[in-house]
Amino acid sequence: MKKYQLGEFEEVVLLTVGVLYDEAYGVSIKKEIETRLTRNVSVGALQTALKRLEDKGYLKSREGEATEERAGRPKKYFQITALGKRAMEYTKDTRDELWSAIPNMALNPKFVEE
Amino acid sequence: MEINKNKPPRLFLKFFRWFCHPELRNSIEGDLMELHSERARGMGKRTADMKFIFDVLLLFRPGIIKSVKQINTLNQSDMFANYIKIAFRILVRNKGYSFINISGLAIGMAAAMLILLWVQNEISYESFHPKADRIYKMYSRDENNGRIDVWGNTPALMAPELKQSYAEVEDAVRHRIVYFLVKVGHDHFNEMGAFADPGFLSVFGFKLLKGKTDALSNDFGAVLSKKLAIKLFGTIECLGKTVMVNDTDNFTVTGVLDDLPLNTEFEFEYLLPWNYVTRLGWDRGQTWAYTNAATYVLLKEASSPGAFDSKMTGIVKNHIKEGDGSTREVLAHPLTKTHLYSKAENGKLTGGKIETVRLFSVIAGLIILIACINFMNLSTARSEKRAREVGVRKIVGAYKSSLITQFISESILLVTIAFVVALALVQLSLGLFTQIVGAPLHIQFTNAQFWLYAIGLIIFTGLLAGSYPAFYLSSSRPIKVLKGTYKKINALVTPRKVLVVAQFTFAIVLSICAIMVQRQIQFAQDRDSGYNKSNIAYNFMQGEIPTHYDLIKNELLARGAAVSVTRTYSPITRIWNTINELTWQGSGESDRKTNFLLYGADADMTKTFGMRVKLGRDIDIKTFPTDTAAVILNEAAVDIMRLKDPIGEIIKDSNGTSWHVVGVVKDFIIESPYERISPMIINGWRDRYGVVNFRLNPANDQVKNLAETEKVFKKYNPEYPFEYFFAEEYYNRKFGNEKQTGTLASLFAGLTIVISCLGLFGLAAYMAESRTKEVGVRKVLGASTTTIATLLSKDFLKLVIISILVASPLAWLVVSNWLKSFNYRAPISVWIFVESGLVAIIIALLTVSAQAVKAAAANPVVSLKSE
Repeated sequence: MKKYQLGEFEEVVLLTVGVLYDEAYGVSIKKEIETRLTRNVSVGALQTALKRLEDKGYLKSREGEATEERAGRPKKYFQITALGKRAMEYTKDTRDELWSAIPNMALNPKFVEE
Repeated sequence: MEINKNKPPRLFLKFFRWFCHPELRNSIEGDLMELHSERARGMGKRTADMKFIFDVLLLFRPGIIKSVKQINTLNQSDMFANYIKIAFRILVRNKGYSFINISGLAIGMAAAMLILLWVQNEISYESFHPKADRIYKMYSRDENNGRIDVWGNTPALMAPELKQSYAEVEDAVRHRIVYFLVKVGHDHFNEMGAFADPGFLSVFGFKLLKGKTDALSNDFGAVLSKKLAIKLFGTIECLGKTVMVNDTDNFTVTGVLDDLPLNTEFEFEYLLPWNYVTRLGWDRGQTWAYTNAATYVLLKEASSPGAFDSKMTGIVKNHIKEGDGSTREVLAHPLTKTHLYSKAENGKLTGGKIETVRLFSVIAGLIILIACINFMNLSTARSEKRAREVGVRKIVGAYKSSLITQFISESILLVTIAFVVALALVQLSLGLFTQIVGAPLHIQFTNAQFWLYAIGLIIFTGLLAGSYPAFYLSSSRPIKVLKGTYKKINALVTPRKVLVVAQFTFAIVLSICAIMVQRQIQFAQDRDSGYNKSNIAYNFMQGEIPTHYDLIKNELLARGAAVSVTRTYSPITRIWNTINELTWQGSGESDRKTNFLLYGADADMTKTFGMRVKLGRDIDIKTFPTDTAAVILNEAAVDIMRLKDPIGEIIKDSNGTSWHVVGVVKDFIIESPYERISPMIINGWRDRYGVVNFRLNPANDQVKNLAETEKVFKKYNPEYPFEYFFAEEYYNRKFGNEKQTGTLASLFAGLTIVISCLGLFGLAAYMAESRTKEVGVRKVLGASTTTIATLLSKDFLKLVIISILVASPLAWLVVSNWLKSFNYRAPISVWIFVESGLVAIIIALLTVSAQAVKAAAANPVVSLKSE
């Protein structure tokens, strides 16, 4: 039983939204992830993740301006909610906890070889 | 140009728009467009397009695709709540119209439900037997007097042969009705029962409470109905007890049947084994020409009834070389059809009760239609009031389809309310209706199927009533409506006129038919029956009556209970025998085929029945011993035999017996009062008499007469209960069917008129209301109340007159078609049409003029100030 449900890709998206702060919308998020993590992100995967995060209450959205480039369609800006922040923190904390719990030996390849 | 160049592939954009969840559609589409134009700039349009397509296809995944259900139910339930709220508000605001609408629909639905209940009951006949679909009843078909007759009796010899020689027959059982005295200790009752073959109980599905289906294989075993068992023993625990039948033979009870269901044509209180017929000696001299048993065949599963039917059709005539029966064919008729299809047309069982069922089903449909027309008329007439609402809804963004949904759901709501009222009406009137149709009907509230049908009826009626107004109302133009230029002065636009005409046409046709049915009954009732029906009572010869007949007769006369007594073969209202193959002086070959009714009587026949003797005298065996070979003819017989001087003529039958004519009696009705009188021969064989007829003394009190008569019969026949019947009552029963049709037709004609007038009243009220201002102006300009009242009623009157013109020829067609089934029929008089037309006009005028006069009499100051 997890307190906060957050998948790996979801976490990436959530973090990226945080990175972009006020400029987080579909295209910018996609580009940010692609440049920072050098991995390809399809619009479909991204939008699904965004919708799921919004449904979970980790993100909230607002309608933004519509440019000519977008054929008059408004941008949808995302922002991290308090709950989203807590979810991120929780994930980070659990990771850190796990990291700190790993005994030194386990991470020392030489020992394993011997 | 620039924009065009940047356009992504249309097809995929469309596809995306189609599948995408509407909430996400705009922003994602924006993203896609932005990416596309960026890519187009960077990598060229072609690559951008490819990537776009790729993106769209990858977007086609759950979470992005819209889920139709989710969105619709959310929206719709709210909208429906709103529709229902508005509908209720409108109902409450216009109490008058709501009342007219609901009561019209309720009456219509109640009438239709009654009819449907009855139809359902009729259709369910014999369907309760588990093997019903494999059981066939055998009918005989032969030519009589140039007409092909089909009847449900067959030779008793046939069943064993069918079972033996036809591979597809699983079992063949006989059934023959009998009327015996049944006795246990000192309790005795005359009861209707039947002889039946051992397989009877396993072929049919009558429910056995006690005993097994082989109960009839015991030669001395009898099966009783629950009713009779309780009557005789006070309990159904009577297996093994003894019953005395026919005052001579003892039977052991081997089974008890539950009382027969009401949807069966079978009628018996007990079953006796078939071979009792042999013990009684009733099958002595049995031939293939006698048709005295009902034969039922159970076919094996997966056998072809058609092939069986054609294979065995000659089974009877193959056994008869010449004479009666040599042309007789046999046909197999499905058991489930025996009730509805019992009348032969051209030698095929295609008619009968099914015609009434069809007729009344059509009437049920038409009554519902009429009630729906009211609804349509009132809602479209009042569309102006609703138009503003429609306009606002449209401007706020309602689709035409959602408006249609609104109005249809409104009408379904109204129909549902009407249905509840109709249920109450049906429940109230069921007792009366049950009496008229003579079938016990009831609403099966606990039956799921009933509710299924009920919901079906509601939806059907709701759609029928609501569809036209829905399309009409939803198509109004919002701008026009809201600007206020929508007003129509006349509430009677063409489609509405057509509907009113249709309504009244149907009401008038139905009332003309109802009048004509009544006339036909009256006509036949007024027909001279040829004898005096009043005060004639009769009972059946049973026990000691035949031996003591002379003593009984003398004592009845001596005590003054009866003024005249005679004995006959059958009651004066029924004929049991016919005879053909007769020859007489001057008769030709074709005369041998002529069928004569064969009746039998003794001294004082004409005196007892009050018949008129035309020539000669009664048969009187006591005074003239040779009268055992004497006959009386009726006038029809004299005509058909072309006898100039009938008295003393000799008639020979096929056995070579000679009969001499001693008298001619004026024609009297013994068969149907609607038919021509058939030629009849009355003879007097001592051992064939079955009925004692006595004319009660009109000088005495009827009750006293009957008490005296009972004493006499009890004295000479103490073992049997005294049961008497009145000839007049049985004569009147001959009109039963037509009376039923007549009552139902009148009832439904009345209802349709009421419903139509309700609608007319609503329309008139609405029109008067919408023309208030016009009336005010006219009055100010000097028009009189009468002129205005005429003006307002004129339109409606025109419609009613058109309906009369349409209805009259239609009604004439229906009525003359119906009358064709009677030989003795009332003439169709023009006056019926004139009368019912006038009545329609008067009723319509009364309905409309109340409104018209009210509007015309109103003070113009009030109406003109009312802005």
